[in-house]
Amino acid sequence: MSTHAQANSSDASIAFAQTASVRASRDYTMPALIVGLVGTAIALLGFFTGMSAGDSRPLFSWLIGLSFWLSIAIGMLFMTLIFYIFHAKWPTVLRRQLEHGIGLFPLLAVLFVPLLIVPFIHDDPGILWKWMNAERYIVGGGSVATDPLFLHKSAYLNIPFFIGRVIFIFAVFAILGYVLRRLSFQMDKTGDMANFHRARIFSAIGIFFCAAAVTMAAIDWFKALEYHWFSTMYGVWFFAASMRAALSVTLILIVVLASRGVLKGLFNQAHRYDLACLMFAFTVFWAYISFSQYFLIYNANIPEVTFWYNIREKNFDGSLNSWWWISLSLIFLHFLVPFLYLLFYKNKVTAKRTLFIAAWILLFHLLDIYFNILPGKLPLENPAELGYVVRQFSITFYDIAALAGIGGLCIWSYLRSMKRVAPLPIRDPNISASLAHHE
Amino acid sequence: MAKQFGLLARFKDTPDLFHAAEKVRDAGYRKWDTFAPLPIHGLPAAQGLGRSRVPVFTLIGGFCGFWIGLLMVWYMNLYDYPLLVGGMPFFSPIFPFPIAYELTILLAAFGTLIGMFVMNTLPQHYHPLFNSEQFLATSSDQFMIAIESSDPQFNTEATRLFLEEIGGTDIQVIEE
Amino acid sequence: MATTTSNLPTCPAQAELLDQIRPAEHKETPLVGNKRDFPWVTEKICTIVESRVPTWWWVAFAMALFTASFTGVGLVWLVSTGVGVWGLANPVNWGWAIVNFVFWIGIGHAGTLISAILCLLKQGWRTSINRAAEAMTIFAVVCAGIFPLFHVGRVWFAWWLFPIPNSNAIWPQFRSPLEWDVFAVSTYGTVSALFWYMGMIPDLGTLRDRATLVLRRGMDETLTPLQRKVQTAIWTLRKYGYGIFAMGWRNAGNHWRNYEMAYLLLAGLSTPLVLSVHTIVSFDFAVSIIPGWHTTIFPPYFVAGAIFSGFGMVLTLMLPLRALYGFHDLITQRHIDNMCKICLGTGCIVGYAYIMEFFIAWYGANPFEEFAFINRAFGQYAWAYWIMFSCNVFVPQLFWFKAVRRNAAMVWIMSILINVGMWFERFVITVTSLANDFLPTSWGYYSPTIVDIFTFFGTFGLFSVLFLLFLKVLPIMPMGEVKFVMPQADPHGHGFGDTAQGANSEMKGGAH
Repeated sequence: MSTHAQANSSDASIAFAQTASVRASRDYTMPALIVGLVGTAIALLGFFTGMSAGDSRPLFSWLIGLSFWLSIAIGMLFMTLIFYIFHAKWPTVLRRQLEHGIGLFPLLAVLFVPLLIVPFIHDDPGILWKWMNAERYIVGGGSVATDPLFLHKSAYLNIPFFIGRVIFIFAVFAILGYVLRRLSFQMDKTGDMANFHRARIFSAIGIFFCAAAVTMAAIDWFKALEYHWFSTMYGVWFFAASMRAALSVTLILIVVLASRGVLKGLFNQAHRYDLACLMFAFTVFWAYISFSQYFLIYNANIPEVTFWYNIREKNFDGSLNSWWWISLSLIFLHFLVPFLYLLFYKNKVTAKRTLFIAAWILLFHLLDIYFNILPGKLPLENPAELGYVVRQFSITFYDIAALAGIGGLCIWSYLRSMKRVAPLPIRDPNISASLAHHE
Repeated sequence: MAKQFGLLARFKDTPDLFHAAEKVRDAGYRKWDTFAPLPIHGLPAAQGLGRSRVPVFTLIGGFCGFWIGLLMVWYMNLYDYPLLVGGMPFFSPIFPFPIAYELTILLAAFGTLIGMFVMNTLPQHYHPLFNSEQFLATSSDQFMIAIESSDPQFNTEATRLFLEEIGGTDIQVIEE
Repeated sequence: MATTTSNLPTCPAQAELLDQIRPAEHKETPLVGNKRDFPWVTEKICTIVESRVPTWWWVAFAMALFTASFTGVGLVWLVSTGVGVWGLANPVNWGWAIVNFVFWIGIGHAGTLISAILCLLKQGWRTSINRAAEAMTIFAVVCAGIFPLFHVGRVWFAWWLFPIPNSNAIWPQFRSPLEWDVFAVSTYGTVSALFWYMGMIPDLGTLRDRATLVLRRGMDETLTPLQRKVQTAIWTLRKYGYGIFAMGWRNAGNHWRNYEMAYLLLAGLSTPLVLSVHTIVSFDFAVSIIPGWHTTIFPPYFVAGAIFSGFGMVLTLMLPLRALYGFHDLITQRHIDNMCKICLGTGCIVGYAYIMEFFIAWYGANPFEEFAFINRAFGQYAWAYWIMFSCNVFVPQLFWFKAVRRNAAMVWIMSILINVGMWFERFVITVTSLANDFLPTSWGYYSPTIVDIFTFFGTFGLFSVLFLLFLKVLPIMPMGEVKFVMPQADPHGHGFGDTAQGANSEMKGGAH
């Protein structure tokens, strides 16, 4: 065992972390910041010009980009909580990466602000969430204000309460992220088990708040885009999707970090295997949730809920629309391909193969986000006419700008967080067991 | 005298068995096996065995199950005796999914069990080793290695010495 | 194997990093208490099967048989008279039969969870409880199966449920969720039995080998010749009885390798299976358009509820067993803590679903749906709803406290309350939605008849009879797996508690 004195280690570890990560690989902090600033600037430019022109598409770009990165951070938070609650030993070696991820919430909260100020500065407050504008025409005649469904739901769907919930959601994520990071970093310095126990208790209690927050986020930000529609399963879908995204990102991070620098070789085959097994499990879980939701709505065949899937399949005239292909690709490419791929042992342990499937899942996760956010029932030009138009699938320049911009800022923040602490939770009681983890 | 099956040696505990197995593997023996009352972590690798092939049987079972399920529903509800119920289609990939799914798991599970038996060449109710009382204690708390005489490297005296050298005790000759 | 830990660090910075790793001390209670060794485990478990049954067993068995006879009476009454003797009447045409069916199927789920999901999650503590829990699964499925089977009315036509050509040349109708149930439940029963059997093969081999040894060494000389003959006969029966089913298992390294892989695969198959079974059970309700039934969260909510009730049942069974057989070193406080925590977690998931249903019933703005839920909580069945809610959501909250988890009597009582609560959950879902549906003029109030009560009450006896027989005849813990989590199982000569230290010093050795 090491004979180093206790006192030296804390200062040494920080100094070491600063030098080592810089020395070990190229520093991407500045490039990430530049990409982030340029991307967000372009996306926000689109956001506000689109808004003044009455074009909602750039606003959707922003929501999609933000949701994508947010889902990753949320998934990472859940992973951290779950690992603590189950007292899982093997993932200790990758927990530091999760801790950098869950530090992103304050940044993401700031990036959410443009969406919040829309109803106050625009003459069509419902440009994104249509219920925010009482005068807006709805399909089937009348306006939001005369819509009995809206009137019923207005106790929940109103702007002050909406803002309150946004604050609650981000407060839960940010506070929990802050506390868990702090306790873990403290642990590095002092090695005091009280930190560890406290982190476990915070996780056990925090997961309830997280469940509430993630459900609200799913209902408010995605489901309420078509506020007529409802499904009790929806919050669970967002959880499952976030977990898939976060597992993929974590896998990419650890494989990349482990292929170079100070962490070289420390994430071994067994870690990859277990992480890939989790990816497999959540692929199945995501499919289970998505399939069950579809299956129940399909079988019961009640129009008040089937319309949500209808517009994701057909136009008003019954012809297949672009979403039909997206739906199929979600079934076959987002579920079946990863499912079959991850059945095979080699695909779960070979670094390159796991990288491939993680990137693949992430790509289709983005498509899943599109699928849940973008399709909408738009009234015809002449509201007296019967029918509606479906907002079709498209990838715009602003989508890419928002994704790259928000992503750039997230990566910048992530890399800055990485420089502050050692790359592993060095005093965690399970760190050695985790490093020695084998199949 | 009856034909010889091989030599059986006893080892003290798990680590002893593990290291002995590595040595037998490195000595180049092919027809031999370890015996322990529990599955030991990493022992297959120490014995020079690769990953088990049972998954192949599982995969075949699962694949058959899925298509049998879908085909069965298609045959019964669309082809052989179409019956209109609740205005639902006679066949669609959606509603038979639970059936196909359950059959996938059912046949995959049977495949797995059969695969385990096939790969272990079981059932095999008689085996020369069962003649040894010492061997019968394995299933409670003993650790053994048996090297078979059919191994090309086998030589009663040399192998006995080798087993002793790697820590084996109570070495017995097992007869067919 | 630990390939990377033996690698030399690739750069000085890494050496520096590894050098700083000094994990804080964290004592974990071992899974097998009192530093027991392998022979102790074998003796402990095999003697239960090999020695005379204790008196309490006979008492319990007689009581269980008596209770089970109630199911017999109920079923004979039903078959000889007709389903009219059950309390079913318009508008409630699904009463206790489906409630009891879902209840028993749900109980079974914990067994599969313990043997499959916890196996995949590498939870070592599952080993000492999984055999009994799997047995519980199979017996629960047997009890559950009775209800739909007799619910068809003419039970001698029950085989029409299966896709077998019958005299009318009509096939089953696969668009009905009830037909999915047939497949789900029969698959579940079969796969659980396969899994159970496969896990038992090594233990059956052990029992066979022990019987063979006893026969070879001869019977005790102090016995009379007749006693010796009887003993020889019993041991011979054991040798061949267990021997046939052990299939010639030899504990060979190759055997274990394939066995472990097969076990892992069956665990991997059982996990989606256990999810699908209760999912499909929930489809029975959720694909309909009855208010309160058609809600998309039903699948995961039913599964969580099933696991919750199943763990309740595992605790109800294992706590007395632990006391009666003196299993305190095998089922330690750590096991009980973990089971309590799982109850707490799943109870909270169920609570999430209750709240979510309520919220979406309001948010969905469908007046019938909204009414269905308000009626549940404040209507004629409010008493059932609040029993359900308090037993399932409030009671498990006590498991937050260590003092509660350490009080075996308290845990046992709570586990029974959980089962009561989960039975009422199914009752609330089934009955409230049917009793007060769209048309107020046809509303009704459902009460069970004595036949319903007899049949249900008796299933507890049937379950106990089967479970007691299992205790007598089969090894109640998987010996190989229990040994696997003991420190002596480590092939590198250090117990699990020290693995970390050992590996760490290995690594250090490389670094310096």
